[in-house]
Amino acid sequence: MKKRLILIALSFFLISCANKSNLRYDTLSKSYKKNGFDGAIAKIEKEEPKLYGKNSSFLYHFDLGLLHHYKNNWKQSIQHFSQAEKIYEDLFTKSVTNEAAALLTNDNTKPYRARPFELLSLYQFQILNYLAMGDVDGALVEVRRAQISMQALYQKDQKKMNENALLHYLSALAYEIDGEHDDAALAYYHAARAFHENKTKIPSEVFEFISHSLKKSDRAELLHKLDYQALESTPKADHLEKTNTEIILITYLGHSPILGELYMSGTFVSGAGLNVNYKDPQTGKRASATFIAPVVAGAGGTSFHVGFSLPEKRMLPFQASKAIFTLDKKTEPIQSEVLMDFNHELTRNLADDRSSVITKTAARVVIRTIAAQKAKKAASTDNIWLNLLTSVGTDVLQSQIEQADLRMALFLPNTITLTRIPVEEGTHQLSVNILNNNNSVISSLQLNDIQIKKGQKAFFFVPVLR
Amino acid sequence: MKKMIQILFISSLLFLFACSSGTKVSRIDSNSVVDLSGRWNDTDSRLVAEEMIQDCLNRPWYSNLIQEKGSAPTVVIGKVRNKSHEHINVETFIKDMERALINSGSVEFVANSAMRDELRAELASQAGNATEDTRKDFGQEIGADLMLMGSLNSIVDQEGKEQVIFYQIDLELIDLQSHKKVWIGDKKIKKYISKSSTKL
Repeated sequence: MKKRLILIALSFFLISCANKSNLRYDTLSKSYKKNGFDGAIAKIEKEEPKLYGKNSSFLYHFDLGLLHHYKNNWKQSIQHFSQAEKIYEDLFTKSVTNEAAALLTNDNTKPYRARPFELLSLYQFQILNYLAMGDVDGALVEVRRAQISMQALYQKDQKKMNENALLHYLSALAYEIDGEHDDAALAYYHAARAFHENKTKIPSEVFEFISHSLKKSDRAELLHKLDYQALESTPKADHLEKTNTEIILITYLGHSPILGELYMSGTFVSGAGLNVNYKDPQTGKRASATFIAPVVAGAGGTSFHVGFSLPEKRMLPFQASKAIFTLDKKTEPIQSEVLMDFNHELTRNLADDRSSVITKTAARVVIRTIAAQKAKKAASTDNIWLNLLTSVGTDVLQSQIEQADLRMALFLPNTITLTRIPVEEGTHQLSVNILNNNNSVISSLQLNDIQIKKGQKAFFFVPVLR
Repeated sequence: MKKMIQILFISSLLFLFACSSGTKVSRIDSNSVVDLSGRWNDTDSRLVAEEMIQDCLNRPWYSNLIQEKGSAPTVVIGKVRNKSHEHINVETFIKDMERALINSGSVEFVANSAMRDELRAELASQAGNATEDTRKDFGQEIGADLMLMGSLNSIVDQEGKEQVIFYQIDLELIDLQSHKKVWIGDKKIKKYISKSSTKL
């Protein structure tokens, strides 16, 4: 009787541990489709405990910060992102209770600590928020905070620390606006290094500004170390240096992938090997992989059959793939270049974490299997039907406990483009067209009567996530 | 079974008490030192103001200027830039300084640039709306002799759970006519922060 009570208690515990990630996506995507960013904001604020809960506070503030950013609500966006950053910092201290609970159940019982690319993108959006408000000092504070954060991530796990080119490029932009050309040159160099390390082609406009800044500060040889050759001619950057007046156009295109579940099964031998089979989501074919299995106390040399789910990238349908614009109806349409690709970031992050997540999850399943076997033995009675029921119930409970941690920011774009457009002071018109993969226009924005003062840096944001 | 129910009941009570998060507020002395996160706080701001006021009033620039000018110098607050890694409101210690200097009778302050715009708008409004005997005239402002400018910088060194933060605040009084710096004051604050890597 006592053991059955424990099983009932465990069932209630399981219900409380239900995965909220799928519910969150289903609920918020409906609100977003129906009422846009406002609808999503209202839904998040109204149903925070149900959709996020205490363990996903970082995501609650991150999602709201991003949605307010898209709405040009700079102050609200800053407040939410600051709160998300504070939550991240506070989570440095790990709760032993949470870690123990996660060992027995799944990672969803731990507070969400943010993926490195989410944390670094938080600083990108904060820098843009402050620059959009014309607060250069505030933007530079975020640049410095980002540097400290990058250093901490680098110290924590050098191999998993992915350089963020856009963050360095925005830092360079903020330094340049402030007139700190030496700092700007170094940030430009770091942007080039990030593109190099990520094996990504540097967008032509970005490379022009990098070349211009490094040549001007007698640092062009830094590019040689990265196997780049500084451009001889930098007409756009030269022009901007003279006028110091520009329109900066940022577009957020498409929707970043989210996380779905990938089921794996295989055999686990404590301290020896873990062999898993799964259906590769990219190719659709069966695949297998072998890892070194950690030692699990009580497992001995027994071979365990294990089955578990892991987070796997899930692409979402979207149309927006490119942005083209014209200024004052004079110029030929120009295509914005991609500086940040969240699909790429998530793919790399999952690949970086895959091995450790698989071995950790498999070990957890083995620990629970051993515990379940002991529980069945202890609950055994003379009634074979009752024993069968207990056994099936224990197995069902065990399989239900294991849930992949599918938490991630829900409103990131698929790509971010940034274009600098040098202008003279006066009135300007900007036409932006968002195209799909077939080059059909899916969204247009016409900005008339843009008043630009001498020395002004005017930021315009076009978010098209659909 | 009875024992089991008792254990469950006591555990539930303990759980409820552990989860209670009622807000508790108590008044504390405004001069007391309370460091919660290691970030810039009211104590740092107060220490800067105290140091700067003492330094500013006890340096020879003041007596030299009095001798030269024959009256208390007039100061305007210029830009004090936050070049640190935290969003710090520098106005807190600047206001402390301003108040201490005005109250000492040694220095007079005039409104800063942003305030002047507002004041001039009010004068313009008076010109068309206030009675002639109460209306204030344009062109009667007192020009400042000195401008107070400065910056707040920080350096962060960190490794794992340990962090050292160094703040340096530099303030300068600059003669508006000659652009000569008559006083430079600084205050350095160093903090060591250690975070626990685990908790219950």
